[in-house]
This record gives sequence, structure tokens and C-alpha cells, in this order.
Amino acid sequence: MKIYIFGVMKNNSNKITLTYVLILMFVAVLGHQFFLDFSKTSDDSSLYFYIRDFIFILISGIILKIILNQNAQSNKSVFEKLQITNNEIIESNERYDIVAKATSDTIWDWKIEDDSFIWNKGIQGIFGYKKEEVGKTSKWWFERIHPEDSLKMSVKLYSFLEQKTEKWQDEYRFQCADGSYKYVFDRGFLVKDKEGKPIRMIGAIQDITKQKEEEQRLRLLETVITQTKDAVMITDIDTSTEVIPNIIFVNSAFTDMTGYKANEVIGKSPVMFFGPKSDILEFDKLKTAIQDYKECFIETISYKKNGEEFWINFSMIPVTNKDGEHSHWISIQRDVTEEKNKVKEREQLIRELTQNNKDLKQFSYITSHNLRAPLSNLTGLLNLVEDIPVEDPELKEIIDGFSKSTHLLNETINDLVKVVIIKDNPSIQKEKVLIKEIFENVFNQLSFLIGLHKPILKIDLEEVTILNINKSYLESIFLNLLTNAIKYRSEGKQLRINISSKVVNDDLILTFKDNGIGIDLVRNKDKIFGLYQRFHNHPDSKGLGLYLVKSQVEAMGGTITVASAVGKGTTFTITFKNN
Amino acid sequence: MLNKILCVDDDAITLMLCKKVIERVAFANEVLTAKNGEEAINYFNELAPKYQIDQSLSYPKLIFLDLNMPIMNGWEFLDNYLQNTYQDLFTEAKFIVLSSTIDPQDVLKAKSYPMVIDFLSKPITKEMLENLKSGL
Repeated sequence: MKIYIFGVMKNNSNKITLTYVLILMFVAVLGHQFFLDFSKTSDDSSLYFYIRDFIFILISGIILKIILNQNAQSNKSVFEKLQITNNEIIESNERYDIVAKATSDTIWDWKIEDDSFIWNKGIQGIFGYKKEEVGKTSKWWFERIHPEDSLKMSVKLYSFLEQKTEKWQDEYRFQCADGSYKYVFDRGFLVKDKEGKPIRMIGAIQDITKQKEEEQRLRLLETVITQTKDAVMITDIDTSTEVIPNIIFVNSAFTDMTGYKANEVIGKSPVMFFGPKSDILEFDKLKTAIQDYKECFIETISYKKNGEEFWINFSMIPVTNKDGEHSHWISIQRDVTEEKNKVKEREQLIRELTQNNKDLKQFSYITSHNLRAPLSNLTGLLNLVEDIPVEDPELKEIIDGFSKSTHLLNETINDLVKVVIIKDNPSIQKEKVLIKEIFENVFNQLSFLIGLHKPILKIDLEEVTILNINKSYLESIFLNLLTNAIKYRSEGKQLRINISSKVVNDDLILTFKDNGIGIDLVRNKDKIFGLYQRFHNHPDSKGLGLYLVKSQVEAMGGTITVASAVGKGTTFTITFKNN
Repeated sequence: MLNKILCVDDDAITLMLCKKVIERVAFANEVLTAKNGEEAINYFNELAPKYQIDQSLSYPKLIFLDLNMPIMNGWEFLDNYLQNTYQDLFTEAKFIVLSSTIDPQDVLKAKSYPMVIDFLSKPITKEMLENLKSGL
């Protein structure tokens, strides 16, 4: 029975009660034994005492047990309460840890009184600090705030700590382990004690560098719109009321250009800028482009707020949102009145010049015609006179002089006529010609002169025989250069003329070299190819030949250069692009 | 030798020169002259109805025509001639534009008329006529 009781009585109150009962019983038994030895009372009365004591002990044991039990009960409920609170704290801590781990924010925990500062793992992951580098006081935090931001930030923070403000959140730059700064958004709350004194502050730092950079990029892009000299206008895409959708934005350049302030045009259609002199075709072009969501460029007269007309260069480009849906129209506009006027002036000038040129050409044709008409009569009449024998020697001399002058005049006028024709026909007909053939022609024409002066001709035309060129011009060039070489030969020296043609880098190079009297190029460099420039006192010299040669060479896209030494000879080099 | 030639020119000396040169080379029996396009077209206007009746009548087979003339110039004459379809009536009449003009456009324009066979620069010469003789 006792063993059983011990076995089940695990709790302390039972043990204490049992011990108490057993000790008392033991004392009671000893007491009775001792009492029996001295008083020698009957066994009957001793049994009675035994029973009385036992009952008494049992009752007191029961009372003890009840008291103990009650005590244990209240202890247990206190303990349970503590247990629950404890569990809640653990749970809360776990939750905090989970949140701290799960959030991308960097969490800090600042026990203000002893200035202990704890960071979560974000300080490592986001800002790159090693665990041992992270400081344990608020100083470490403050030191890593960008100098430009720290003053403003601390003012705000202290006014929060002093509870002048309800909320604390701030943006500042926070230094990373590598020295660079990140833009952060920090939010915190205060933990206060019973007296309301702040004892702890917990904050969460968000890395907003990307947003900030994007913000700055957008601001930069925005400055393009706000600062540009071009007027910028943005419209929506709603064409239900007007053919051109309503304006939602204009920049200040737009105001400068048109005189309309933003609030005067926002919500209205750009149709308002068109007026009676605006180009209706251009307007239709814009309308169609808007219907088709296509970009469009137009130029038309537009109207300012004060009614003034101006030329506008107007482009309208559709823009889409993130989903690729058409969302707005962006229009860039420029006042091109000045350019337009310049173009108009230029066109007017060109018209006038063209007319003048035409008149002059006509004039030169008429003049030369009117000169040529009587001159041809003179030539014709002299031809007739040649057939009639003249007896009087003086009259014969006079008629000869008459005839020579007439022929010279005729040649001069014919050369001038050629010049007029060359200058009038910049786009001359080009054909494939055989250079050799042309030379043969020229030699035939000059056979009398060549027979007379018997020059030593060295002709080297083997390399090129075909050239894309105007035949009559080339003939005239050869004729002039050959005649010049013969005309301006050195007296008492055998005349030598070297003519060659070769191809160098696709260019055709023709050279005419003589050993004649030469030209003083130092004095005449600029004049040599000029009109009416003569360098020798030769009776036939008119000062036209080289001018004509140069005109013809250039009319065919070629160039001509000269090298000469007085008394030694002259070399002309003609270059044609042979394509 | 041609029977009849017409020279149209406002310049008397040119006409005289033509006559003389034609005589020298015995190019034609008769040289008619007109002082401008109007006189020339009048000549054909008078001749045309008669010629329609009597095809044996002679008409100039060669006409030397100047371009720059008062009243009616060479171009106006040629246009007028075409309008009257004289080229179908006087089928053998050929024109030579004889001018002192140097405008290359004039040369091209002259050759665009069907009855114009050549464009020659003044003055008229014996060589020119010899060539024409052999050509005709």
C-alpha cells in the first residue's frame, strides 16, 4: 500500500504530505510507547490515544495536502502564463527573423540607451560589408551617410527621436563597402518605455539606386523636352471629337514659338493652329497619317496666338506604351519662316539670274548674228572680186588689205562664236572617238602650214586610241595647240613637236611639247588662258586660242596645265577622266 | 541647171550676192527674190491656185531662206508653209536655211522641218553651190 502510494505520488505535495504523516505517526508511536512505560495505563486507553492521534494526524495531513495542492495550483497557472508569454516571444522573434531574412530591405535595430546597433544580413548582401566590418554603434551608420545628405538626414532623425514628428522616413545616399554610394529609402519606428521615452528604434533600408538612376535619366530626358529650342507637343490618341487628338503637353519652346501658354492649349486640338492660308493638302496628309498611326512630316503656314502667320515644320510620331499599344503622339515643331523666306529669295534670285543669263545669251547670239551678217556679205563680195582681174596695182593692194582684214575679222568672230556656244552648252554631246583619226583630220587641215615649216613631229599615241569625248572640241583643241606651236616657233631653230597620250590611274593625259619661243610664265601665269591675252607680237595673234582651248577642255570635264621657259619651249598637259 | 530659185532675205546685198554667185556658176536660169517671209508666202499663195489648175507651171525647186527678217521671219514662214500643206503641193521644192545665226538650237530646229534639206552659214559661196549641184 505504501509502495503504491509512492509510486503514483509523483508530485511534490503528495511527497511532502506523506512524509509529514509518516513522521508524525512515528513520533506519535514513540510518544505513546514512552508514555506507556512511565504511566502504566491500560492498553484500552492507549489504543484510544492511538486512534485519536492517528485521526488527528490524518486530518492535519489532509489539511496540509489541500493547502499544498492549492499552492501548487496557483503556481502552475503562473507558470503556464509565463510559458505562453515565452512562446509568444519566441514565435515573434522567429517571425522577425523570417521577415528580416525574407525582406530585401536591410533591417537595423538600435537600442538607443546603450547605443548598440544591430544590422540584419542585408548590410552584407546589399552593401557588400563583411560581417566583421559592420560596426555595432550608430556612429558607424552615420559615418556612412553621404556628406551632402547627412545634415538634412540627421535633422529629420533627431526631430523624430525627440518625437516632434510622428513618422520617420528619409532618402539618402549610403556608402557601400567599395566606397560607392547607393540611394536608399529608410523607414523606422520607435519603441518607447512606460514613460514614453524612446529606448529603441528599428528601421528598414530599401535600395532605391535603380529607381533614382531611372528618375535622373527621366529628368535628363525631360530636360531635353523642356530645354530644347524645338517646340514639343504631346497629344493623346482620341480622335472622336477632332481629327487631330487633344494636346496634353507643350513645352516652353512651344509657348515661345506660338505665344500660347500651356494651359491655353491643353485639352484642345492642334486644329486650332491651322488657318485660311494653311496648306489643306498638308493638313490632309497629317489627318491620314493620324488615322493610320503613321509618322508624318508636314510644312505649312500656321498661326500664332496674336494671329501672325508663320511657316511651321511639323512632325508627328506615334508612341506606344509598354504593351506596345498606341498611347500618344509626339510632335516636334520648328518655325522655318526664315528658312522659307531665304529659299524663296534664293529661288527668286535664281529665276532672275536665269532670266538675265538667258537675255545675255540671246543678246550675244543676236550681236554675233548682226556682226556676222554684214561680215559674211563682205566675205562673199570679196570672193567675187577675187575672180575679177584688177589692173591697177594700187587698187589691187587696197583690195588685198581689205581681203586680209576681212578674213581676220571673220576668224575672230568665228572664234568668239565658238566661245559663246561652248559657254552656252555645258552638257555637250560625248562620243567615242579615235584620237588618231582626229589628228589625221587636223594634219590635213594644217597640211599647208606643216608643208611650209616642216616641223619634226614625234607622235606617240599608241597607248590610247579611244576616248569618250566631243569630237569637234577635241579637233579644235588639237588644231589650236598645233597652230600655236607652229606660229610661235623659234626662228633659226628646227621646230620639234612631241605629242603623246597615255593613261595614268584611269586618267587620260595628252601632252603637247614644242621647242618654240616659250611664254614668260612668271609674268603671265594668271593670264595665259585668259580672254584676249597675247604674249607675242605676232600679226595673227588674237588672244583667243588658249582661252578657247581651256573652255573646251573644261566643257568636257578635263583640266589643262602649262609649263614653259622663254627660248626653250612650251608643254601643255591635258588630263581627262576617262570613264 | 535649175530652172527657178527663190532667195528670201531682208538684206539687199545678200540678195545681190546670191544672184551674182548663182550666175557665176550657172546654177539657175532665174533667181526670184523676196524681202521677207510674208513676201515669200504671198508668192506661194498666188502660185498655189494656179498650179492646182495647171501643173505644168514651174515653181522654184530650191529656196534659200534667211531666218532673221522683219514682218515675217524664217520660222513663221516655214510654219505658214506647212499650215498650207504646200509641201504636198510643191513636192519638189526644197529649202536651204542660209543664215548668220550661230545658235545651235536654230540648226536643230531648221532640220526638224521636212522640206528643209540643209542649214548653211553665210556667205553663199561657189563651192557651196557646186556641192549642191552634185547633191541635187
